[in-house]
Amino acid sequence: MTDISKSSSASLFLPMFEGFRAELDEHHDRRERVIKASRDITAASKKIIFSLQRIKKLNEPIPNFVTKANAQHWDNIAKQYKTISPDLQDLNTHRYERNITGGNQELMESLSFQHYLSTQTLISYDDACAKVSELSEKGKPVQLSIEDYVLGIFDMVGELMRFAITAMATGGELPGGSSTSTENRKVADEDTMEVDSEEKRSLPPRNALSDMRELRTYLEYLEVPRGTYFGKDVDKKMEVMRTCVEKVENALYGLVVRGSERPKGWIPEFTGSSRGPEPVEAV
Amino acid sequence: MASQTGMIDPAIFEQLQDIIDQDTEIRDELREILKTLEKQGRSTQAILSKAHSTSSDSLCNVVEGAEGALRYQIDTVSELAEAASRHPYYKYNHVWSHQIQDLTYMILLSGFLGGFTSTNSSEARQTGRLLTIEEVGNILGVPVNIKNKDTFHLSLEEYLLALITLIEELARLARNSVTLGDYTRPLQISKFIKDVHAGFQILNLKNDALRRRSDGIKYRVKEVEDVVYDLSLRNLIPKDT
Repeated sequence: MTDISKSSSASLFLPMFEGFRAELDEHHDRRERVIKASRDITAASKKIIFSLQRIKKLNEPIPNFVTKANAQHWDNIAKQYKTISPDLQDLNTHRYERNITGGNQELMESLSFQHYLSTQTLISYDDACAKVSELSEKGKPVQLSIEDYVLGIFDMVGELMRFAITAMATGGELPGGSSTSTENRKVADEDTMEVDSEEKRSLPPRNALSDMRELRTYLEYLEVPRGTYFGKDVDKKMEVMRTCVEKVENALYGLVVRGSERPKGWIPEFTGSSRGPEPVEAV
Repeated sequence: MASQTGMIDPAIFEQLQDIIDQDTEIRDELREILKTLEKQGRSTQAILSKAHSTSSDSLCNVVEGAEGALRYQIDTVSELAEAASRHPYYKYNHVWSHQIQDLTYMILLSGFLGGFTSTNSSEARQTGRLLTIEEVGNILGVPVNIKNKDTFHLSLEEYLLALITLIEELARLARNSVTLGDYTRPLQISKFIKDVHAGFQILNLKNDALRRRSDGIKYRVKEVEDVVYDLSLRNLIPKDT
């Protein structure tokens, strides 16, 4: 130690730290790009969901006016994913998971909601991953984690609630419920479903509420690891999800118990309880 | 839940559960190795703690003891590296990162106290050294700061966080050296901490763990400066330094 002169000592570790600086800068730049893209993907996904909420009917192709309105948002999302595709490859595939999860979850919400509206089924994890790959740069897919998928589905239940309540308020009944959806599926799944076809015929028709209940059952049944970010997020979203299902149940209760007494268009949930039933619009 | 009768194909959730269960299994396997590492780490830490109450002359016993204890941890790290390299690095990095930081810190402290000297043991151990990230990687037997391959390694962040822990420990050691009657070491520590501080100052840190922890370095610089001031005020600083 004694032979190191004072003049050179000030810069003893500086060359080493200069190397570190370059590397940390690279890391921070990547992270910031990912955070920014995540925010933009979130914003665009919210706009897509907003348009989707104007759809009235379940299990039918997405109407043209919605597809048109959303095209620019999908383009924007694809642009964002392509920007960060190179940043999320190889070693860095999972490095920025916590930074991209917000955008991925919101995208998952819009993706699963759109899928539900047009098919009345839940999009699978593999299909969702394929969709994100499609949005990413070719050959450099952004990874949709299992956490992104599950948490996005939880949020989707909130959209189902809004969709169901709006439909009940404006149309006077729960969306879905026609037997056509079941018929369609029977044709589609003929090979795998043969054994159950007998049983299925006797099933009550499905509607948005029965679908929400089914989703609730599956989500509650899912066993997630305790003490992780994922576990905590699921705990939080579980409560919200249950409330959403109950809100639709309560709305349906109102519809059934008072349904015959009030004109179409009257909204049990949203008009003040102090006021008597007054028609919002005469149909 | 045998087949799809409603909205959800049961296979979807079966697949989700499978993936989650596999993930949990991997974490459990890694945690099992880390339990061993943690236990061994406590032994090493206990030995290194003696540095605060050992005079410079007999410090080499502490350092040799620490080196010996660290060897067990290094064996465990190779086990961890093997298990962890089977999976994406950053997916599970948070499971072991903290412990690898602790271990790196103990290696850095041993290095500062004269451990891991490459020269012959007969020579006097050189103290006050900062082991580089590459040297720590060599000691641990793992690659460092990898960028193009998805494998287990010591990351730059882990090294820097360990270095901050070292600084905090050295500030404490500076005061305790004075208590032991060693008036040279605080000067050595002061210079070392100032050099590291200068290094951290040229980094463009963002709002993350590294930033928050490195904010404390300046207080450690001041703490040790105060010790040096106390010594110089009383003419206790040896003349030959």
